[in-house]
This record gives sequence, structure tokens and C-alpha cells, in this order.
Amino acid sequence: MNGFLGIDVGSVSTNLVVLDESGAVRESLYLRTQGQPIKAIKTSLNMAVERLPGLKVLGVGTTGSARHLASVIVGADSVKNEITAHAVAASSMVPGVRTVIEIGGQDSKLIILRDGVVTDFAMNTVCAAGTGSFLDQQAARLGIPIEQFGEMARRATLAVRIAGRCAVFAESDMIHKQQMGYSLEDIGAGLCEALVRNFLNNLGKGKEILSPVVFQGGVAANVGMRDAFNKALATEIIVPEYFGVMGAVGAAILAREYAARTGRTMFRGFSTLDVDFSSKSIECRGCPNQCEVISIQRGSQVLARWGDRCGKWSGVNGILKNEELAEA
Amino acid sequence: MNTKTVGIPQAMLYYYYHYLWKSFFERLGLEVKFSGETNKHILNAGISSAVDEACLPVKVFYGHVQELAEKVDFLFLPRVVSTEKKEYMCPKLLGLPDMIKASLAPQTVLIDVNINMRNKNSTMKNALGEVAEIIGVSHKKALAAWRWAEKKQEEYQSNLVLGNLPFGHENKNSAYQIALLGHGYNIFDNYINMNLIEKLQLMGADIKTKEMVSHELIEKHASSLPKKMFWTFGKQLLGSGLYYLNNPEIKGIIFLASFGCGPDSLVGELLERWAKRGGQKPFMIITIDEHTGEAGLVTRIEAFMDMIKRKVS
Repeated sequence: MNGFLGIDVGSVSTNLVVLDESGAVRESLYLRTQGQPIKAIKTSLNMAVERLPGLKVLGVGTTGSARHLASVIVGADSVKNEITAHAVAASSMVPGVRTVIEIGGQDSKLIILRDGVVTDFAMNTVCAAGTGSFLDQQAARLGIPIEQFGEMARRATLAVRIAGRCAVFAESDMIHKQQMGYSLEDIGAGLCEALVRNFLNNLGKGKEILSPVVFQGGVAANVGMRDAFNKALATEIIVPEYFGVMGAVGAAILAREYAARTGRTMFRGFSTLDVDFSSKSIECRGCPNQCEVISIQRGSQVLARWGDRCGKWSGVNGILKNEELAEA
Repeated sequence: MNTKTVGIPQAMLYYYYHYLWKSFFERLGLEVKFSGETNKHILNAGISSAVDEACLPVKVFYGHVQELAEKVDFLFLPRVVSTEKKEYMCPKLLGLPDMIKASLAPQTVLIDVNINMRNKNSTMKNALGEVAEIIGVSHKKALAAWRWAEKKQEEYQSNLVLGNLPFGHENKNSAYQIALLGHGYNIFDNYINMNLIEKLQLMGADIKTKEMVSHELIEKHASSLPKKMFWTFGKQLLGSGLYYLNNPEIKGIIFLASFGCGPDSLVGELLERWAKRGGQKPFMIITIDEHTGEAGLVTRIEAFMDMIKRKVS
């Protein structure tokens, strides 16, 4: 079959989606990145080709914080930031969507759309309070598998009030409530409400949140969080079928648009996956900036370099030709 | 006789007055030495010697001072309290010379005069007299050099009002006019803002800054506030921000703030509210601190430019 790949390499998970020529999702994969993005990309591609033998790739799009790394390794046609990718995916899955809430491993986003176009967005600042990592950590502390956290919160009789502004405060507040004798269910539900309050205070400030509201990202799996958003916004919360991989869906849609315009792809093919990719980092001694330059290599061939400020190693657009690199 | 050198840290007010100061000292026959562009070494030196609570540009300033300290005869470290009537510089700038002195070797000769134009009858006379004493020239000569330097500064600033970017940046007349607002020492220090201007230009932005808005327009727009904004730079940011908000040619506004800057947190918030209230002009606040990871910055500005391009087309 012919298809388009979307790859989203984030801090916590690496997702891959295959769209068919009509734009329908045919395969979706969710892997943990585990600090090794190159390995995660290769594994996900291998899994894709195992599940869809005979897949002919007509276009590839990448997104996520490692989108440039991913694009060099697979040969991507479109490289887009997460905000654009998530917005594109949400408006394709839920036509007419006006608000997108996305909570992932280390960041959270609020995207406002009007007539299918992004008109405003906000992303959390450096603080990761209220994102998936924090929920993960608290579930582990309470000895509850994260998959069951939402169901547990749903059984609460009373969502206790928990300070949600900072993960450190939230944790001490939770321990305090637990020592007073509140049930795990009530504390879990309280935590969900605290995170939602924190999200709406931080990102929702001054923004007009109108329905339809779409909730996506890994955290959307948590029914406790869905309920808390539903309660806080007093509107229906739509969780799309592929909520966990929407970034990859968006990347694939953008690749499909690109292919429709150009009719070709830069995809390196699945066979190149057998070659070893490696990265090497050096500290440039050319000036007092001492930039940490990284080169991504396939076998002995340098595919790209980045991390420099002056462009001596990376070239203007981030990728130099091999002969130019030899001189650098 | 050897020409004496005066060192000027290439940070903070350098980004406003470098031309004025250079012209002044050179007119008096001194050689002016700047500390050079911020780099990793300067940043690290600054962070390890500055007080912890300071904002990033102040920390960077420390690093620039150290870069010059033993290499010049005089170090120019004025206490700029106020440059306009009934207005102030930010508190950290007021305390800067004291903070720096505590970290310098005592043998460094400082030109640490007070510049305070806040009162009705304030003049530069006393400050210039003190400078003349320190470097050993007559008061009269110093006054004449200052007048000459002020003319040079006026020429420099009127060139910016014509729409030219300072410090070697050039706009390429792209379709998307973006107002990039923030303190000069954040907007034009390419190291601490991770080449923000160049990155935006590569994404198709035509950069407009507060330096391009005339004094009169800034005053006019800033006076629409119910209460006077008494920080000079805060006033400039608000005035130019309101001007750009009402200018249909401007497709979006990016406000670059320093983490820990009091005035920035107020001014950014005010502008954001106005942007949301009238006309829905895309507005984004970017806060910079010590981190060098570019991914967060690139994601935000790329998404911002994407949004504007999809909106316009």
C-alpha cells in the first residue's frame, strides 16, 4: 500500500503514524523514547514495516522536540513544530474545533483556532508542573499504575483541594492530605482538578476557550483529567481516537500536503535502517563561545551538524553538503 | 604621551548609548575599548560573580566588566538614575555600580558619576565636571565634547527612526512585519537571545523595534495610560507597543522579557491584555534566562510565524 509517515519524537514518547492515500490512519505506534531518540526512531520504523509489509512511502513529516534529528535520519519532507502539527491534526479529526488542549510528557499547550486557522496559542514555561511526567511520578509514588489512575480518581466521593501551582508543593500537600486520612481516590481526583486549574490559570489566561474543545496528548488517556476539564470548562471534552499520537498524525498530514504539491519524497527508505546511525559531539575551539557541536553520522558519512552559533559547522540552513563539511 | 584607554562594558546601557559615549570619550582624546560581544566565557564569568537574584542582562554585565577590568586605564561605570524628567531607570541599573564595585579589584579607576535628569533643573554639568576631574581634562572641554557627542547620538537615533536596525542587522523587506519589543540589551545581544532576530528573519519576518518609533509617538501613546509609567524603558515599550498594536501593517508582536525583570512582567502583561482586547493581534511573550537549549525558543517562534502566515494568506 502507499502511505505517508508522521513521526513525533518527544521527550517521553516517540510516535509514528501511517496514513493511507485518502488520509485515514492505518497504523499508529507509541514507544517510550527513553533518552535514545535515534534508537526509538529506528525501532518505530522497523515495527511499521513489519506490520505493513509492502508499504511504499510517498512522504514523511517529522515533529516534536527532536524533529530535526528525526528528519535527518529518515529523510523528511516536512519538519514542523508541535503546535502547528497538533493544530492540523485536531482540525482534521474534529472539523470546526476551536480549542485544543494538549498535555504531553514535559509540556502542555493550549491552541485556539477560529475557522480552521490558529489564532492564538500558549505553551507552558520551563516548569513541568501539571504535565504527564508529574502524574507519572505521583502515580508511582502512590503505587498505582498510571493506566488505572484516572479510573481510580473517578471513584472519588470528594475531590480534595490540592495546591497545583508547583509539583513540589502539590506533592507535600498530597502527603499531608493522605496522612489526615483522605482516601487515595479523593486525593487522585483532587490532583486532577489541581492540574486542570493550574493549566487553565497558566495557559488559559486571557484566552477565549470555546467549544468544540479537543483534549489530546498522552495525558488525555486519563479519565480523571477528562472529567476535571469537563467540570472546569462546563463543556463537552472531545478526545479523538488517536489522541496519544496526534502530533504524528499532524506531521503525516503535512507530509501528505507537501507531497501533493511536489509529487516527490526525500525518504531514505527502510533499507537504510540497517546502517548504524551515531552522533558525536565536540566542543568547538574557534572562539570563546565554545559551542557544543553535534554531528549525526550514518556509518562514516556525516548527515548533519548543529549546535554552533556561527554556522561554521552547520551551514546556514543546518545541513551542509559532504564536500563542504570536509573543508569545515 | 600614551593615549589613555576607557573601557565600556558591552552590555545593558551600551545598547542605547554606545554611540554617545564613544563619541564623547574619543572627542576628549581617549581610546575607547568595548568588551566585545557576549560569549559563553563572559556569560559564565558573569553568572559566577553576580548576585543570584539579578536578571540575566545584569549577570552578563558583570562578565563584561571582568573582561575589561585589568586591560584599561578607566572603567566607565556611570550610575544612570534618570535620563528624562520625572522618570527613572530600573532599580537594578541604579544599584549596578555599587554591586559591581564590590566585585572589582580596588586599583581599577572607575568613572562612576551620577547621571540624574529627573528634576526640572537637572543638567549634565556636575556629572561632566566629575568626569573631567577623573580623566584630567578641563570642564569646558568636557562640556564641548558632550555637546558634540549628543549631536552624534541624535543622528544615530534618527537613522533608527527611519526604520534601520542597529548593530549590523538588516531587514530584507519581507511580507510579514513583526514588532519585536524588549530592552535593547535583550533584543540586540545575539548571544543571550540565541540569534532571535536572524532566526525570525529566516522565517520571513521584517523586524520592527521600539527604536524605530519616534520619541513623540512613544510619548503620545504612552500618555493614554491612566497613570504615568515612570520607568523610561517601560514607557518606551508601552508607547511603541501601543503604536504597533494600532498599526495594521504589523502582523504580530513578540515581547522578549528577562526572567526576573519586574518592569518587563508588568509591561508585557499590560500589552498582552490590550492585544487581546482590540483587534486580536497575535501577541507572544518569550522569557529568556540562562538556558542555551534552543528547541523551546524555536518551537515558539516557528509556531508564531506559521500562525501569522496561515492567517495572512
